Amino acid sequence: MWFKKSNLLTLAILILFVFFSMRLTEFDLSKFKDFRNMIDFLSQWFPMDFSLLPDMVQDTLETLAMAFLGSVLGLVIALPISFIAARNTSPSPFLFQTSRIVLSFVRSIPEIVFGLILLTTLGLGPFPAVIAIMFHNVGVFGKLISELIEAADPGPQEAMKAVGSRTWVANLFSILPQIWPNVLSQFFYRFEVAIRTSLVLGFIGGGGIGQRLFNDFKTFQYSSVSLDVLIIMVMVIIIDFFASYIRKRII
Amino acid sequence: MIEINNLSVLYEGNTVESLSDVNLSLQKGDFICVLGKSGAGKSTFIRCINGLQKPTSGEIHLNGKTITNAGENQLRKIRREMGMIFQHFNLIPRLSVLQNVLTGTFGYRPSFKNLVGWFSAEEMAFAKSVIAEVGLSEMMDRRVEQLSGGQKQRVGIARAMVQKPCVLLGDEPVASLDPGTSNRIFTLLKEMHERLGLLTIINVHDIDLAKRYATRIIALKDGKVIYDGLPKDFTEAEYQETYESQSQEYYFGSEI
Repeated sequence: MWFKKSNLLTLAILILFVFFSMRLTEFDLSKFKDFRNMIDFLSQWFPMDFSLLPDMVQDTLETLAMAFLGSVLGLVIALPISFIAARNTSPSPFLFQTSRIVLSFVRSIPEIVFGLILLTTLGLGPFPAVIAIMFHNVGVFGKLISELIEAADPGPQEAMKAVGSRTWVANLFSILPQIWPNVLSQFFYRFEVAIRTSLVLGFIGGGGIGQRLFNDFKTFQYSSVSLDVLIIMVMVIIIDFFASYIRKRII
Repeated sequence: MIEINNLSVLYEGNTVESLSDVNLSLQKGDFICVLGKSGAGKSTFIRCINGLQKPTSGEIHLNGKTITNAGENQLRKIRREMGMIFQHFNLIPRLSVLQNVLTGTFGYRPSFKNLVGWFSAEEMAFAKSVIAEVGLSEMMDRRVEQLSGGQKQRVGIARAMVQKPCVLLGDEPVASLDPGTSNRIFTLLKEMHERLGLLTIINVHDIDLAKRYATRIIALKDGKVIYDGLPKDFTEAEYQETYESQSQEYYFGSEI
């Protein structure tokens, strides 16, 4: 009654994919029988070692600054590009296509690859991490915002043209207020993602709490690792809370 | 004031012209209502006048200046002299009544001043006086999305009036308003029209409104002008001709 033959076929194919993926990833739940090792390991995490807390807080601020700069600069650079990469506001079809291609190219390069490349000229530290996060975010914001622009109501744009306003002023004034809440909410989401990214970039020497976590782990300082993880969790929760508060205020 | 010669518009992908060889002379002081069924070409006609729609052929002149071949900058200078109001108001959301009305001055000001929102005391005072004229003084700082339909259209009218226009265009400005509100909007438009000595051209579906307010009625059918004259001469026969359903010949004729 509810299922057609084609549905069953889809289901069969899906099951096949799941099976092969499990083979490729050595998915085997029976391996969990050694879970005691994990408990052993985790027990070494406690009690936490608070002696280095001030340094950790310092590193956390560094991580926040990296994520913030990377996403803010990404947004600022992406905003004008988005208007070129949106079909309804692009000055020319050529620029439209070019900017689209550039954006998807930039977006396709993971931050860690950017980071590894930049390390060679910029050396270790948070600066290459900021640039890496920024580049990737230009690609992501450019795509998201140009799609928001294309979905905006064309009415106000027409009215601004009818008033005799310059095209770019007309576009800016009629579209930006419409998409602003969505832009902000995308920004906060990308900021959260940037925090996680900057942790990973810390592993390749990008500085911040990520690098500290990695170093503590490598040197078996598990009582510090536990505090690093706790601080990261608290930071993410606070950011999440703060972001949703601001979003509510804006919309 | 406005001369329209052999104006035709053919939309891409269509086989039938939306406007077909329209010739009209519109004078200062005319309060023109354009009648016609949906798809008769009313909207296309209005949008050609301020260059939002490029015609396929023909010319439009405003006080001797040619609109139809104007470059970007020339077109802006022509547009700023024409106010336009819309069916869906087309206000900028999230901005206040005053901010929306001030955007009406954009055609006259350098872009950087528009961008930073730098308005002279006179510009500010004029915008406020226009808002008072449309009866929204108390709502000046309200966001436009909080207003009712009729109030939104009043903001639209104020935005057009801040342009100090010589022509006022209306593309179905009361089509989404109730009859009472429509009446009040038309009263306001007529009042502005007379005081400022405008040329007003408005598309409207409501024939009673047209007969009550217009000084001249133009009826379009299949992109052609089928009536151009005084409202009192627009009788049952003209009404029938304007709104009767299209013949089968029309539908099948265009295919061949």
